[in-house]
Amino acid sequence: MNLLDIRNRWVIQIAGVEVWITETIVNTWIIMAVLIGLAVIVRFKLRKFKEVPTGFQNIIEAAVEIFDNFVVGTVGKKLSYIAPWFFAVFAFILLSALSSIVGLRAPTADWATTFALALASFVIMFVLGVKYRKGAYLKGFVDPHWIFFPMNLIGELAKPVALSFRLFGNMLSGTIILTLYYALTPKFVQFGIPAFLHAFFDVVFGGLQTYIFVIISLMYVRIAADDNW
Amino acid sequence: MHNLIFLAQTVPEGRVFGLDSQTLISIGIQLFNAILLAVVLGYLLYKPVKEFMQNRTNRIQSQLDDAEATMEKANQLIAQYNAKLKDIEKERAEILNAARWDASENSKVIIEEAKREAEAIIKRARERVAADQQRLKEETRRHIIELAALIAEKYITANIGEQEQNQIFEETLAQMEEIRWQN
Repeated sequence: MNLLDIRNRWVIQIAGVEVWITETIVNTWIIMAVLIGLAVIVRFKLRKFKEVPTGFQNIIEAAVEIFDNFVVGTVGKKLSYIAPWFFAVFAFILLSALSSIVGLRAPTADWATTFALALASFVIMFVLGVKYRKGAYLKGFVDPHWIFFPMNLIGELAKPVALSFRLFGNMLSGTIILTLYYALTPKFVQFGIPAFLHAFFDVVFGGLQTYIFVIISLMYVRIAADDNW
Repeated sequence: MHNLIFLAQTVPEGRVFGLDSQTLISIGIQLFNAILLAVVLGYLLYKPVKEFMQNRTNRIQSQLDDAEATMEKANQLIAQYNAKLKDIEKERAEILNAARWDASENSKVIIEEAKREAEAIIKRARERVAADQQRLKEETRRHIIELAALIAEKYITANIGEQEQNQIFEETLAQMEEIRWQN
């Protein structure tokens, strides 16, 4: 078995259809559980939040405020209501990247995950484009002439594909390098040194790729929905 | 229902990437997971925290607005009091001027009255002195007459006889009648 493979944990049959419960899906559930657990803690602690934030409250408020300002600054106040979706995407991708530190295979190193996220962003982009620009947005598909429709359509459909492959490729590359390191190096250099590799590929690279994925998605949404773009 | 969902006995080998129905199913599961996560995080974390911060911002803004309004009110009151103080100063000066003017007028009247009274007193004193002088003159004249008559009587008694006395009496009487007639 290949070390880089996404292992199948279980296979279940649902009404005759075989469904592979992969390592990615299980790890996604773990990350979801952590994030939902954190959200529940915040929800309970929110009642005790003070006027002047300190400690844990400071971190939560800073995270929400910084992200909200980032979304408002990118897509504008009008479209800022999509912030919760991208907050979840941001938190999930970042925690996926960081999960490698504790030995989990990053769910974002699986194309199914990155494409699912990119597809959702694409749907949001399309819906908001039609909602805010209506005919003008749809007219963009036959611009400058109807003969360009296939190319424009491919251009639009390429967006989620490109977005998903960018994140998938980057996360997989980190996973490959780290897997190769663990597989090819003797045991005595597998202490200490990998910390720097994880710091670079998981923390720095992961953070950077998270930011890139979210800002590109937000830009797609803005381009689709904003008349003045 | 019993056979609807069950675990398969054999688990296929893993892979890095594939484009088949299992990838589509995985995409569907991951999409569902992402939507579920977004909904839960949105309702439990993002929105409540944002709402809390918004409420706090509104409260602080409201307090700042109140403080600004109170400050503006206080400034207006200060301006009003300053204006009142200025008015009071002006009023004080006016009252003082009026009082000074009244005092000056009153003093003039008092001085005039005093002068008039003094003149009246002097006039009355002069009249009284004149009357006294007149009275003294009259009394002196009467005393001189009495004294002259006494001296004359004594002289006549000592040096002149009865006949001569009658003659002098007749002559004096005649002179007196003449003077009375001339007056």
